[in-house]
Amino acid sequence: MNDWRAACRTVSLLAVGLLWTGAATPAWGQDADSTALDDMTAEVASQLRCPVCRNQSVLESSSAVAREMQRLIRDKLAAGESPEAVTEYFVGKYGEWVLLRPEPSGMNLLIYLLPLAAVVLGAGVLHARVRRWVRAGTISRAGAFPVVAVPSQAVDSVSATENEISGGLTARSARLSAENERWLEEALRE
Amino acid sequence: MRRYLGWVLPLLSLPVLLLLGYGLTRDTFILPSPLVGNEAPPFRLETFDGDTLGLTDLRGRVVVINFWASWCGPCRVEHPALLNIESLYARDEVALIGIANRDRRVDSERFLAALGGNWTQLIETNNTALDYGVYGLPETFFIDREGRVARKRVGAVVWETARATIDSLLAGPVAEVGDEGSSVPAVDEQGS
Repeated sequence: MNDWRAACRTVSLLAVGLLWTGAATPAWGQDADSTALDDMTAEVASQLRCPVCRNQSVLESSSAVAREMQRLIRDKLAAGESPEAVTEYFVGKYGEWVLLRPEPSGMNLLIYLLPLAAVVLGAGVLHARVRRWVRAGTISRAGAFPVVAVPSQAVDSVSATENEISGGLTARSARLSAENERWLEEALRE
Repeated sequence: MRRYLGWVLPLLSLPVLLLLGYGLTRDTFILPSPLVGNEAPPFRLETFDGDTLGLTDLRGRVVVINFWASWCGPCRVEHPALLNIESLYARDEVALIGIANRDRRVDSERFLAALGGNWTQLIETNNTALDYGVYGLPETFFIDREGRVARKRVGAVVWETARATIDSLLAGPVAEVGDEGSSVPAVDEQGS
């Protein structure tokens, strides 16, 4: 009886497995195509500016026009158009403004070159300033510690103060020790 | 070094100040359109009456295409200007076309019944709005007799400027070319 049940269960599982793999095989193919299309749509949509948003891509936005644009991107890609052609279509309708990352040509070059120029200029100013400090002796060539010229009187004064403090502390310590000894002797006597 | 800083710093800050001034004074609702000066994107759409109408059917006339929706506030504001266009110009000279966009047909018809207007109304399909680079509503395109986009209006149409544009287009093939914005901004969808 148990064998019969186990056999039935095995056959059922096999049948379900076969049905599932049979049904799933073409779906997997479709899913793979669909996923690739989704990825391409997302890639193109991420490069386009949502026309009614502030600095949001078509991919990120949930506005009606962004959804329409996403649908059109997907339709065009599904029809066999290249991602470049789809992007070009939107540039033709909305202008280069629609590109979140404009092409590095013409006036757009300024966007890419100005930060670089600012860094180079800043480095130049810093270099000139450091050289001036080195020449003036404000910092050493190694640049790690400032070289400060201290007058000899000041050094003597600091040494004298240090000796004074040190001597005072020694005398106070000796006095305290003597008091402690006295107190201990009295306590033992009592 | 200090003697250079006297003129280098003002020189460097000048472009920044100019950019700031440009950014603060420009109307962000005015966006350049690559369509202006070029042939208007063709379309063939269904009218509210069930017929079809294409841009090629209107060749030889000045065409005013108005993208609108019943839920759009500025569309209500500009409606009197469109009524003026309809009443002032002969249909065989100026074709006023409304394209209801992102709207339900019943709502569009109710809007027109309430505010009036008998110009041809089309139902937006086939990505016509995207073909025209429409991003908010309302947007209006003035197309010359040759079928080229002469002007794009973003936001509510103002009667005086619309009239001046149409008159100049009636006078010649391509009049003053440019984009213009409106003090009544375009909207994307209901409530936005």
